[in-house]
Amino acid sequence: MELLKKDWKKQDNSYPKLSYDEIYKMILKKSSSIVKWIFIISLLEFVFWFVISFALKDTDAMEHYKKFDADAVLIPLAIIGYVILAYFFYLFYRNYRRISATDSAKTLMENILKTRRSVKYYVGFNLFYLVLSTVLFLWLEFDQDTIMINKVNEAAANGEAFKLYAVIILTTIVLLAIVIALLLGFYWLVYGILLKRLNHNYKELKKLEV
Amino acid sequence: MNKELEHNFVEMLEQHQNIIHKVCRLYTDNYDAHNDLFQEITIQLWKAYPKFRGDSKFSTWMYRVGLNTAITLYRKSKRRIQTQEFENVQFRIKAEEYDDTEEQQLKLLYNAVHELNDIEKALVFLYLEDKDYREISETLGITEVNARVKMNRVKTKLKQILNP
Repeated sequence: MELLKKDWKKQDNSYPKLSYDEIYKMILKKSSSIVKWIFIISLLEFVFWFVISFALKDTDAMEHYKKFDADAVLIPLAIIGYVILAYFFYLFYRNYRRISATDSAKTLMENILKTRRSVKYYVGFNLFYLVLSTVLFLWLEFDQDTIMINKVNEAAANGEAFKLYAVIILTTIVLLAIVIALLLGFYWLVYGILLKRLNHNYKELKKLEV
Repeated sequence: MNKELEHNFVEMLEQHQNIIHKVCRLYTDNYDAHNDLFQEITIQLWKAYPKFRGDSKFSTWMYRVGLNTAITLYRKSKRRIQTQEFENVQFRIKAEEYDDTEEQQLKLLYNAVHELNDIEKALVFLYLEDKDYREISETLGITEVNARVKMNRVKTKLKQILNP
């Protein structure tokens, strides 16, 4: 080690020297740090769920549900969705602002992970919301849709009511599972690649504390 | 941002640029990657500069931001292809300064350091820069005791890599 140190110091003059102008040009360039990527991806996630909730609003299917006597359920559900979006966005923004390259390595990593986590919880909430809405809509179908009620009655007359319920519910569960698996797989991939090194180094630092 | 701030910053950085080069040297192994990391550290320093209050030395602050960038913030860009290995291009030291065995030994040492993980490299770097344990622990966010223990382990690890 001492030999290395001696040599390390000797080499001070062997590094490239960048001129004032070269450095000046650099500060005008854009960063490509992971914090920036996390910021972009997180924003996309917020936009994605927001767009989905809007896109679903005016579809024929929604018109169909609006005819039901379900305002007492649907309106609070929508309001809760937006309040939670606002809350998570605030949380995300606050954590993002806290990230500073001037902190110690550990604090910096923790703040990045916190920012990432606020988005993760938001996604988790959305998946839960998705499941909850599906259950609600399914219940509305069975409870209030005249076509559906007729079908159920018909099936009941043939003694196949259970089969009908089973098919509809199972299909819904399978579709939901596929959608959730796709979304989770996507997040896992994107963040897995992005945060692999950070997670590794964070664990390395944490390990020192045991 | 105002011109004066920009001017001060670039001037300071020009003066202390060796610190960044040294970080790049430990964390990259070719010329393009070196330049890429150098640029990212410079950008991060510039972004953090408004928050630099001067209560620590500019160079101390550079160590911190530089290492943070290398360990945490930097994303290796894939678009750059690996070019020539560094060793023999940029930092070639005149052969006459060394006798062969010492040069050989040093080469092995540098190779061994490159095999360490990111955190271990940071410790070695701060050690080579004569930083005391207080500064090392503050830079990494661990306790002084842990910094000491880890440093000893790194030294042992280096020995093991050199004499398997």
